[in-house]
This record gives sequence, C-alpha cells and structure tokens, in this order.
Amino acid sequence: MGGLTGSGPAPGDGVDPEVLWARAYLSRVSEPANIPVWGFVRDVGPVEAVEAIRTGIAPREVLDATAARRPTVDPDADLEAADRAGLRLVVPESADWPHFAMAALENAGAERLATYHTGNRSHRESGESIPPLALWVRGPLDLAAVGVRSVGIVGSRAATAYGEQVSSEFAFALASAGVVIVSGGAYGIDAAAHRAALAVGGETVLVSAGGLDRPYPPGNAALFARVAETGLLISESPPGCAPQRRRFLTRNRLIAALSTGTVIVEAAKRSGARNTAAHCLALQRPLMAVPGPIMSPMSTGCHGLIRCDGGLGPALLVGSAADVLAVVGRAGEGLPDGTGGGPVDDVRAELDDLDPVARRVYEGLGARRFAHPDEIGARGGVSPLDVIRTLPLLELAGLVESSDAGYRIARRSRSAR
Amino acid sequence: MALATTLGVTLTGVQGQTVEIQADVAAGVPGLSFTGLADTSVVESRDRMRAAMGNSGVEWPNRKVTLALLPADVRKIGSRFDLAMAVAVLAAAEEIPAAELTDTVWLAELGLDGRLRPIRGVLPAIVTARRAGARRVVVAQGNAAEAALIPDVEVRAAGTLRELVAWLRNQDDPPPLARSTGEVPEPERYADLADVAGQTAAKRALEVAAAGGHHLYLVGPPGAGKTMLAERLPGLLPPLDDDAALEVTAVHSVAGRLLDRARLIRRPPLQAPHHTATVPALVGGGTNLARPGAISLAHQGILFLDEAAEFRPAALEALRQPLESGVVVLHRGGGAVSYPARFLLVLAANPCPCGSRARDCTCAPQARRRYQQRLSGPLLDRVDVRVQVEPVPHADLLGDAVQRESTATVAERVRQARAAATARWAGTSWRVNADVPGAKLRAAPWALPHRVLAPAQASLEQGRLSARGFDRVLRLAWTVADLAGHTVPEPVDVVEALYFRTGQVETWAA
Repeated sequence: MGGLTGSGPAPGDGVDPEVLWARAYLSRVSEPANIPVWGFVRDVGPVEAVEAIRTGIAPREVLDATAARRPTVDPDADLEAADRAGLRLVVPESADWPHFAMAALENAGAERLATYHTGNRSHRESGESIPPLALWVRGPLDLAAVGVRSVGIVGSRAATAYGEQVSSEFAFALASAGVVIVSGGAYGIDAAAHRAALAVGGETVLVSAGGLDRPYPPGNAALFARVAETGLLISESPPGCAPQRRRFLTRNRLIAALSTGTVIVEAAKRSGARNTAAHCLALQRPLMAVPGPIMSPMSTGCHGLIRCDGGLGPALLVGSAADVLAVVGRAGEGLPDGTGGGPVDDVRAELDDLDPVARRVYEGLGARRFAHPDEIGARGGVSPLDVIRTLPLLELAGLVESSDAGYRIARRSRSAR
Repeated sequence: MALATTLGVTLTGVQGQTVEIQADVAAGVPGLSFTGLADTSVVESRDRMRAAMGNSGVEWPNRKVTLALLPADVRKIGSRFDLAMAVAVLAAAEEIPAAELTDTVWLAELGLDGRLRPIRGVLPAIVTARRAGARRVVVAQGNAAEAALIPDVEVRAAGTLRELVAWLRNQDDPPPLARSTGEVPEPERYADLADVAGQTAAKRALEVAAAGGHHLYLVGPPGAGKTMLAERLPGLLPPLDDDAALEVTAVHSVAGRLLDRARLIRRPPLQAPHHTATVPALVGGGTNLARPGAISLAHQGILFLDEAAEFRPAALEALRQPLESGVVVLHRGGGAVSYPARFLLVLAANPCPCGSRARDCTCAPQARRRYQQRLSGPLLDRVDVRVQVEPVPHADLLGDAVQRESTATVAERVRQARAAATARWAGTSWRVNADVPGAKLRAAPWALPHRVLAPAQASLEQGRLSARGFDRVLRLAWTVADLAGHTVPEPVDVVEALYFRTGQVETWAA
C-alpha cells in the first residue's frame, strides 16, 4: 500500500489501513448495491468479510456475487491508480463519511435485508436502496457535510432549451443561497446545473456511474475537471470501471441520498430521472418536479410524477428556485410570507434601513409603469440628480428594476409597500 | 533669360510640401510639356494659363516651353499650381523681371479671364510656406481672409493676373496685404442647455461626457430629443487652444469649407453625418488626393451618429482604428494620407426597430436584441456613458424651468473638472479620464478603497456589470468626482457612475 502514504489528501485519514484495503477489495469484487454482500459486511465487518470471501468460507450468496471478480481483484493496484488520479477512498469508518446523508439508505437497507432473509431474494433491476460499501472521491469539498442542505437537480440528457434554462436558473439561485447542487454529470439538465453552480462560485457534487478516471460522457471531461477543482466528484466504482447501465441505476440512489431533496427538471415518459425519483421516494426524501409545456414530450415524465402516474409520486410542483429553497432550505427559508425572514420581510427591513432620500426615491417609483429620474424625482420630492445617485443602490438591493423604459419597483418588493 | 523658378505648395492630407516650379523657354517647335508627376488636372492648366495671359495683356511665348515641378517624384494634383507656373513662364519668357520671384510662394487657380481663384487648403499651404522660409505668399482674394490667419508671413491677395504683371513690372503698387479681420467672435450658434426641459439624466450624461472625454450612447425613440441634446454638447466643451484651432482649421481648409467664413475655428466642431453615409464620406477618401471625411472634420469636436444602428456595418467598423489612434490613415495608389481624427463619439439609437416609445413597443424581444446587437462589439467597447432618453410628456409639469442650468454654467464646471484631470494626469500621455486604461485605475496609486468601490463590486458580483463595465465605472467615477470637486472619488460618485452603466446587460457590450 505504498501509494497511500503519498502526498495529497490523506487517504482514509486515520482509518486503519487494513480496513481501507478491505473496503477497496469489496468495492472491486462486488457490484454496487448487492444485498447479501452488504449484509455480510454489516454483520462481520469489512476485514473479516474479505478474509471469508478470499478463503471461500463466506455464505453461499456472497460467494456467488463475488465469484466472477474474485480471481482478479487487486486492491493495491486500485489504491495506487486512485492516488495517481488524485482520488481518495472514503469508507464508513472515515471521519468524512456522510453519515447524515447515508442514514436514510442505512434504514432502507436494514428493512430490505429483513425481507431478503424472509424470502424475497430477487435484486430489483432499478437498484436496491442500500448504502455503498465505499466511495471514491476527488475534490476539496467536505463530503461529510453534503446532504445537510443540498438539492439534486436531474433530468433528461436530451433536454430542451427550456429545461436547460430552468436547470441553470435554479442551480444558480440555489447555489448562490449556499445550497450544494448534486447531479450526475450527464449532458443536458445535469451539466447545466453543474455549470450554473460553478459559475456562481457555489458548491456542486457530481456523482459518476463509472470510475472517476474515466469521465462519462467523455464530452463532459472538462466539466468533471472543473467540478474537481472546487466541488466533489463521487463514484462507487473503483478507477477504471466502465459506466454500465446497472451502475447508472445504482448511482441514482446516491444522488437521491446525498440530496436533501431532488428536483426533476425534465423527464420523458421513460427516463433515468424517474429512477432517481423512485429512489428519492424510497428514501422518504422530498421529490420535486418542474412542469413544462403539455405538448413537450420532455416534460411528460415530470407531469406524470406530479400526478402519481404508475404509482410513482407524488412530486411537488416547483416553479421557482424559491419554491425549491422552501423545501430544502432552513425552516421558513424561501417561503412567500413565512415568519422566519422571508423575502418580503427582508424588503421591509431593507426599506426601514434606507436613508430618507432613498426612501423618497423609492416612494416616487411606480409599481407597474417604468419612469425616468425627472418623473420619479417630481413624485418623490427629490431632485432628479439625487434620484440618479440613488437608483443604482436601490437596484443593487433588488428593490427596483430597470428596462429600456426606465425604472419601477421590483416585483419581489411590491407587496411590501 | 530662358529659365525661371517659382514656388508652390502641394498637400498630402494636411501635410504640405513646397514645390519648386521651373520654366524653361527655348528655341524649338512651339509647345508646352510638363515633367515631375503632374496629374491630368495639372496638365489642364495649359489652356487656362494661355487664355489667362492673353486676357491679361501679356503674350504666351511662341517657343518651346518646358515646366518642371520638383521634387519630381511627388505626385502633384489640382489647379493649385496655375499661378506659380504662369509666373514662371512669364519670367522665363522675360515678360516680367525675375527679381521679385525669389522667396515668394504663389497659391491660386487661374480663370480664362485672368482672374485669380481661391484654392482648397490654403491654410496648411501657408503654414508649410512659412516653415520653408518663404518671405511672401500671394493668394487669390477669395482666400485672403483664411490666409491672414497665419501670422509672421507677408500674404498679398491679388484679384487678377494683370494686376500682378503690372506690379512685377514695377508699373504699379503691389497688391494689398491680406488683412486679418481680427478674431471676430464666432456667432453663438450653439443652442443652450437651458432650453431642454427635463432630461436631467441625459443632460448630466452630456456634462460627464464633456468633462471626461467619454464617448456617449443615447438610447431612446425618435422625437425624444437625442439630436437636440447632441447639438448642445459642443457648447460644453472648452474652446480650442491655438494649436488645436490651427489643426482643426487646417482640416476644414483642406476640405474646402473655409472659403465663405474664414476664421480660426475656436469652437469644437459638430459633425452629424446621415446614416446612409458611405465609408469614404465618413472616414475620408476619394481618388488621388483623399479628402477628409466627417470624422476628421469632427477632429477636436463631436461626431454625432444619429440612428447609429442604421449605419452600414462597414462604416461603423471603419471608426474603430481612428477611435483607437486619433488619426485616420487612408491608403491610396499615390501613397498614404493621414488626417487627424480625435473626436468625441456620440451614438444615438432607438432601442428597437419599430421606433416607438419603450412602453408602447410591439417588437419581439429577439427583434429588439438583434437591432441592438448591430451596435454591439468593438465600437460600444469604447463608449463609457450610456443613457436613456425618453420623450418628456408634459414639459410644463416638470416645473424645472426656473432652475435649468445654462450651457455657460455647466461649461464652467466642465472646464474645472478638465483642469483637475489635466493636473492629475500631468506627465502621462493621458489628457482626459477616458484615455486612462482600466488597469491603471485599478492599481496603485489610483486604486480606490473597498468602502468607495463597494457598489461597483456588488454590481460585478450580481452580474449587472461586466469586467470591462467595471473599468468604465472607474473612469466615470473619476470624472464625476472631478465635476464635484472631490480630489478622490467618493461612494456617491461611484453610484452615479453606475447609473450611466446600468441597463440591459445582455445587449450592452460586455
């Protein structure tokens, strides 16, 4: 394990090297979200579980699930490759394991294990809601904090311009409000969300289906690199793993788990986003969907979630970033007229803080009609030059808005008058 | 005597060069030949000279006449050498004594009747003659007023060739000295700012533009008063000093615009070419001797492009290099001609193609964006001040008639602000705040503390302002501070600067 002592973020910081090695072994030998393997590790611990798998004394189902890879597993090589690619392995024994985010998966996993033991031995094609055995990560963001105030923004790869715009605007506003944006790094909705979060200097987490040294889709390799600079790349698969169909489905459960709530921006009738929605509901996390034109096939999946089509849902209809913030933010945050400092109260407070001249300029503004400094000054009893020297400040505070026709009171502050 | 020499001046742009004209009259087949890159227009003088002499009582020498225009490798164009050549031929033919010819420059065109006619560009020509050490210049009476603007040189204005012959033969007095009419104050042609009701923001924008030398962009529908405002801008600029006045007058002289009202141009000129103007009309051109275009006639003054979005793209593109360098260089077959072109650009445009008032506009957003994008890019990159101009609905209701400031009041503030800027930038190549690169204003010793810059930085963070827009705000803030008499910008100056930059970010050059 020579590669582990190299420079860079301390791999597994303080984790017993034996445990780390065992988790690396498990991460490679088993497909993600395998019920008997996870249950066995949970019961006997990672080191003993690996020993049992290698010596062939593990339970039958565990040996079956690991038979294919057992001869070729090489955790040392994986850990070295990870080190070369700047990745680190985070395990449940690590200090930065996201216990908060994984709690729901632990609960769901325990329940599923019980039903497994009583006879339901089939693995759901859509992926079982059980925790990962280990996570390969890259980037400076604190993994432990992800999930506390985060939002998953996912949707169709073949997004429409509308979908991409909604995705960007939501991610932009939410990341500005300090919410971590979680998505899957795919084309379309995912990429728009990541980019908007990066653009505003916010925090974003990209959960990949394949090994992190193999960005998928390759066209988004630059996006992966940018996320790794300030955010976090996460994968359940060790380096070198190809992103297979099943791994996308198990990956989706991680997006749902790492998000306080998940927004489906655009989804066709059959879409991977519906799988993420299913995981989100299974974890009893809030599911949100953005409506679209009824003629748009890329929105039928969202509409279906809102109406509980096929028993999947209901998703909460969200029409603005504030709607989302009301769900994933602090209590009361983003609520239209909440008691806990909603925007209207903010405006009232800002208005109270205004100096007398600014207050009079504000009072000279129209709610609907745009006006010019002379008119505003005449109505507010302020000299037009003072109006000129005040309007930019009011605009910065979000109290007024401008157009080609002049200035008027901003929409958000109208009701506060 | 078979050989005589006189002096003329040829012009390339506003740069003059003395030309020595030699006439040789020798035995041989009667005729006239030219040498020394004489253009067709020079050769045409053959018939003018012959007829003018015949009608002035002197004989065309019935011998072989050769005229050389030296240096021979400089192209000579136009009728400006008529008189110099005619006098050289008369002296070579011994019709007149050659004694008076040395140190005299002859600048006039001849009519068939022997009258002296005015030429374009007599002002730079006399400046050249003076520099070359000429003692005396003879011009047509039509050029007398313009020629008299140049001190320290004896300028005589003659009416006819006959008059000159009599003088050169010592039969008569020399033609009268061209009299300087004194520096007549220019009529107050500029309309007063006090006539404009309302429009406080636009008027303030004019003041800021004038004080800092910032290019200006007026946005508003037709009838809002954009032209009325632009016409009041020259009155706010300080009058031209001696050097600038001479420079500007020389350009106008070359363009042939001084003949009727010859005086030193002391007021910054205003040029307002129509939006159908061609590239040559705008930047200068024409075959052979390229003439100055609107941008050079606007040198040290204002170039006002109304309906700027309607100008052809090539014409707007052509403004970029002069905006950068203050000089326009026109390349022609015969060489490059350069004219000064340091002007304050005022663009005026509708926000949309339909041209109605903003709140009545029915244009689709895409159409509006497309229309405004016609102006975006490198040209708007150089424009610091943007202001909206809306028609004033009820001027009387504004009740500001009493307090409206006159042009004189505002011009005085502009003068003081300019003086402050000149003092600050002394020792640099910058004359006005608009010249100063943003990087310099962001670095010591000109960097402003966060306390002052906070509004601009917040705008930057909110995406209301681009990085370049931020630099413009810095420049404007210094100008606003200069107008307010602050030695260093204060927060209120930065906020006012922001006012002239806010608006639709996506349509406004990054």
